[in-house]
Amino acid sequence: MEPLALLLTANGMESPEDPARTVAAAQAGDRAAFERLMRQHERLVLTTALRLLGNREDARDAAQEVFLRLYRNLAKVESARNLAGWLYRVTVNVCHDQRRKRPETASVELAVLPAAGASPQQELTDAERRHALALSLRMLGEKERTALVLRDLEGLSTAEVAQILGSSEMTVRSQISKARVKVKNFVEQYFRRRT
Amino acid sequence: MNCRDWEERIALHAERDLPPHEAAEAERHLAECAECRGFAESISQSLAELRGAHLESLTPADFAAVRARVLAELPERRRPAWRLAWIGAVVVALVLLAALPVKRQPEPTRVAPAPTVEAAIPLPPAPEARPEPVRPRRPKHVVRPRTVHKPAPPAEPLMVRLISNDPDVVIYWIAN
Repeated sequence: MEPLALLLTANGMESPEDPARTVAAAQAGDRAAFERLMRQHERLVLTTALRLLGNREDARDAAQEVFLRLYRNLAKVESARNLAGWLYRVTVNVCHDQRRKRPETASVELAVLPAAGASPQQELTDAERRHALALSLRMLGEKERTALVLRDLEGLSTAEVAQILGSSEMTVRSQISKARVKVKNFVEQYFRRRT
Repeated sequence: MNCRDWEERIALHAERDLPPHEAAEAERHLAECAECRGFAESISQSLAELRGAHLESLTPADFAAVRARVLAELPERRRPAWRLAWIGAVVVALVLLAALPVKRQPEPTRVAPAPTVEAAIPLPPAPEARPEPVRPRRPKHVVRPRTVHKPAPPAEPLMVRLISNDPDVVIYWIAN
């Protein structure tokens, strides 16, 4: 089974219904089936949007637009299997559009999960490190950031990323490698300056 | 060899993104270059931290909010594609019908009553020059209205009076 199909299965675990049947029912006008489709894919869409935009409210807006586009284009979805790829592609496009329309916001939201038993000093350092990592993503160019998010944070293969972005695998590999080096250098420089 | 040339390949190799033959080359270089091994290690470490930092910062409330906003914008009932196609076909048919030229029925032409014609004809001695009776002109292209179902009134007979040179001789010709 391909990774995208695996991902789809994993996200649809809460509903025993066959995803293909859900897609077909939604295409036939079943509103409840469309809501089930949203529940199956909301993690994929919202998490990707948050990683690309770095802001919770912007990510919500983007996810809303993605699902409305899905509703309008249900007839074009050939099968549940390629729905995940379609959603990734639309999410990336919507986030790019949103970033062009809106100026970057200063805040970056990431998980604040302090390690068990960590001292306040340690928590502060961890929070700082997370902040630096978030900033490192934001200083990447749009294409490098998208490739890195899809490959390294979403866990898609290079081939899948290339398919979603409509690029060649060689181009995607180049974007990913440059992005990884930049993130590493940024984090190192950030902490060198802080200490 | 300058190790900067290896950076991008090692960055890819750190997550097993190189094709097999390039991965083998990178492995050989890493085996003999401590600096690049350190570089590869820090790439892997920063990626691991990036993944950790981006773990589940979303809450169920975020998902519920998106769902509610989307559902609020959906129309009450979605029309399936085949229904939309039907509606489109009916609209096109109506537009075509409206665009067709409509034949108007012509108004019924009134028929003038049959006239009486008088003709002066020289009498014999040249009896061979017998004039033909003059018929009144019938209006051409008389279109009778189809909607009229009443029987037409009986037409008046056509009467032709032929006057000769002899005042005692008058010829009447009556045609039905």
